[in-house]
Amino acid sequence: MRKCKFEDMIDGYLLNKLSERDKELFEEHYFNCPACFEELQARSLIINTIKNHPEVLVSEEASLKVPLATRLKRELAAFFNVRQLAMTGVISLIFLAVIIAVVPKRQALLPDFTLTDTETVRGSSITLISPVIDMNQVPSFFEWKKLGENVEYQISISNHELLWKTTTKENRVVLPDEVKAKMVPGERYSWQVKAFGPDGSLIAVSSRVQFLVSTK
Amino acid sequence: MRDRPEDKLRAEEDIKELMVRYRPIITFRVRKAIGAQNTDCDDLVSEILSQVMEKITSGEFRGESSLGTFVYTITSRRIVDYIREKTRVMKFAPEPEPFPDPQETLEQKEMSEKVQAALEKLKPKYRNALYLYYYQELSREEAAARLGISPRKVSELVNYALKLLRKEMKI
Repeated sequence: MRKCKFEDMIDGYLLNKLSERDKELFEEHYFNCPACFEELQARSLIINTIKNHPEVLVSEEASLKVPLATRLKRELAAFFNVRQLAMTGVISLIFLAVIIAVVPKRQALLPDFTLTDTETVRGSSITLISPVIDMNQVPSFFEWKKLGENVEYQISISNHELLWKTTTKENRVVLPDEVKAKMVPGERYSWQVKAFGPDGSLIAVSSRVQFLVSTK
Repeated sequence: MRDRPEDKLRAEEDIKELMVRYRPIITFRVRKAIGAQNTDCDDLVSEILSQVMEKITSGEFRGESSLGTFVYTITSRRIVDYIREKTRVMKFAPEPEPFPDPQETLEQKEMSEKVQAALEKLKPKYRNALYLYYYQELSREEAAARLGISPRKVSELVNYALKLLRKEMKI
């Protein structure tokens, strides 16, 4: 159906927005045009209802809140121009890429131990202080670098087989006389320290260091 | 020839048809001009219709303009006269029909309820556009800025909403 050219005046007429001249023109027109008068009546009913019952249009779900995406877009536009927005995007991407690249490595640094016969050791390490070189005599104590508070250390000394094993919260242990007595000059010994957290989980392992008790 | 009974009957039918056709238009124009709540509306409409009939039967309407324009002119003149008379009495001329209209007739109330039901069924995007455009009386450009869309899109939303409403109400 072809639209009457006066149809565009209907809203203006009903909302009292037309000039006096246009108002008269349109009034004369709808006395002559049944199609426009029909449309005028229908729209008048709709507009009157909207004016009398606006709550129908602003119920909770249709509240006049601008859609979130549109609001964000507008607020972003208020802060940045297109170029700045693009730069922000690029910087965010780089930042994201760095995070993605770094996080897995950090995870790899977490203690992860497989202690079998071949003794695969990964994760944090404990630095052994003494003895780390060949000794002139049987060492009277074993010392390592402290890892932190609330850490329990397990020290083991072996030659061909396990010679002695003990636990301590210190970073130093004095070798008991009975063990000392077992260690003889000319023999090669090794020692290792393992650290356990408060919950008993293994958090660090030292490398196994060998030393020779020389015969003098 | 003019006084033959069948011609007289035809003239009466024409006048009846004329009344049916123009009464709603005159009523609309009068209500818009002096306010739908004005109790003089019905009297004024009847008076205008009588004048129209009188002028047609007396041969005053000679077809120089369309019948619609002729009826429109009589209606406008009578409204102006009415406002003049009232101005003398009331000191102030009646304002054009205000919103909201407190004097909804029963029939209008029923129709209005139908419209409300149809409005409630509309999607929020249509309701928002109608609210800004008709209730707040924002221009298309202002409504567009509020909704974050183009003015053309506002027109599309409003026009489509009207179409949906009329379809729903079957009017």
